[in-house]
Amino acid sequence: MAAEPQGSMTLEEQARVLPSGEREFFLDVHTTDLEVNFGPQHPATHGVMRILMRADGEVITGAQPHLGYLHRCAEKIGENVEWLQYLPYTDRYDYLAAMNNNLGYSMAVEALMPGLELPRRAHMIRTICAELNRIGSHLIAFGTYGLDIGAFTPFFYAFREREWMMALFEKICGARLTYSYIRIGGVFNDAPPGWLEEVGRFCDVFEEKWKEYVDLLVMNQIFVKRTADVGVIPKEMALDFGLTGPMLRGSGVDFDLRRDMPYSLYGEMLKDNAFDVIVGKGEKGTLGDCWDRTYCRVYEMMESIKIVRWCLERIEPGPVLGDIPKVLRIPPGEAYVGIENPRGELGHYVASDGGKVATRVRVRGPSFTNVSVLEDLLPGALIADAIAIIGSTDVVIGETDR
Amino acid sequence: MNFDGIHDRLRVIQAPGLLGADLPRAAIPGAKHGESKDAGRGGDAFVLVDPQKIVPFLHVCRDEDRLRFDVLVDLSATDPKAEDPNLWININLLSVERRQRLAIKALLPKTDLKMPSSTAIYRAAQWHERECAEMFGITFVGHPDPRHVLLPDDWVGYPLRKDYVFPKEYHGISCE
Repeated sequence: MAAEPQGSMTLEEQARVLPSGEREFFLDVHTTDLEVNFGPQHPATHGVMRILMRADGEVITGAQPHLGYLHRCAEKIGENVEWLQYLPYTDRYDYLAAMNNNLGYSMAVEALMPGLELPRRAHMIRTICAELNRIGSHLIAFGTYGLDIGAFTPFFYAFREREWMMALFEKICGARLTYSYIRIGGVFNDAPPGWLEEVGRFCDVFEEKWKEYVDLLVMNQIFVKRTADVGVIPKEMALDFGLTGPMLRGSGVDFDLRRDMPYSLYGEMLKDNAFDVIVGKGEKGTLGDCWDRTYCRVYEMMESIKIVRWCLERIEPGPVLGDIPKVLRIPPGEAYVGIENPRGELGHYVASDGGKVATRVRVRGPSFTNVSVLEDLLPGALIADAIAIIGSTDVVIGETDR
Repeated sequence: MNFDGIHDRLRVIQAPGLLGADLPRAAIPGAKHGESKDAGRGGDAFVLVDPQKIVPFLHVCRDEDRLRFDVLVDLSATDPKAEDPNLWININLLSVERRQRLAIKALLPKTDLKMPSSTAIYRAAQWHERECAEMFGITFVGHPDPRHVLLPDDWVGYPLRKDYVFPKEYHGISCE
């Protein structure tokens, strides 16, 4: 609101002439701090998260994420149930990538079991499932991100392919969302007949459909204008906040645990140059903006398809579960194993004192650290961009709260 | 560069607060599990650090040219046993440049659960320390924002401690 000019002088008369010849007007504009409570039940939070934002006019001056609405004491449960019984709880932190969670926990426990040899077919099926789940998770990420900022159609396109992916998982383990399929020592059961061939068909179809996503959303001018130069995370900030996954690669840091600290079969794939790591280049705006993060996710899906194909070419019949006793007693020790989840590094720190129950199961969820960046990222941005920024972190609340 | 290399470098640099290293080792031969005090240890190797000197230690880890651990991946604590006099602080660092991890462990006596906050070195520590504080009752001295992060503000007790007693009710809601 402009104030009345002082005295009898009009605004024109008060104006100061700058050396460049332009005139500078003195507008006495008053704004008040406004507290905006965003969430906990807001469609753009993809769950229940509350962000208390302070705004001065249209500009956000402070943001405080409040978590804990979905806290289910996963770590405490881990200390009270047996090693294998904890597996279904891992499904529930990042419920969009449950296969990867199963894999992370199983690998952490296996790190404490010296001498355990996993059959090669188990590694193959694990990798196929984890990568298919990564595709499914990224489909949700980019579909709902479009939805958040007003593009409705890509969401349906994404769910069309995701439906097939979930049907594939239903065939292999009976569940559509919480699989508990990858387990300590291998996988629960062998793939049913014809399953691998269907995965091959899925890859062929997906490759065609994927081009539609790029045309429809990623390279769409409206989308580019909406996300480029918005929510820029510089490289130093990304490292300082401990961001991982597409959030880190979107900021131009070339780091992927699958390539740089290879586990399972990824080391072997590297020798064949089976996949690339997608890193943001700041193509449409500043490096590290919302567009770069979406670009990383969408293009990563094609790399996952390459990995799945690599496995399909080499998979051979054989056992799928190592020599695991019914009641597991894990030798004493402690291990931290981090794997590349769709959202970043999922770390499990497990400690055992030699018993049937863990001493400690610590879960380092990527969403937890990825969402902490909002505290520093939102201030300075416009209220209208808040949704675009929050959506680009691809937060899953089940994982931040655990 | 393997763990031994890092440990050697830390020793050469004389990293402040470095107490030693623990490597995975086999149990004493012939001893059955539970009979020997030292049942061996599997898993990762880690360095032991004095918790009160954690800030200068992390500073060296981040800025020293021979180390360059630029990401703090995880910071949490472990309560090994209700009778154990110490809590473990577990810190995991990652070097994106060198593709190397470092596990750090510090023993914090349960009688005096105070240690300096690492937030000034790694911003990532801020939320992890908040979680650690509410779950274990550790006070991080100098923490810029010591609120609860996952638990309600009025929660009583420290849930991840082994001596934690489960509440019977919360605001009139029965928990049994």
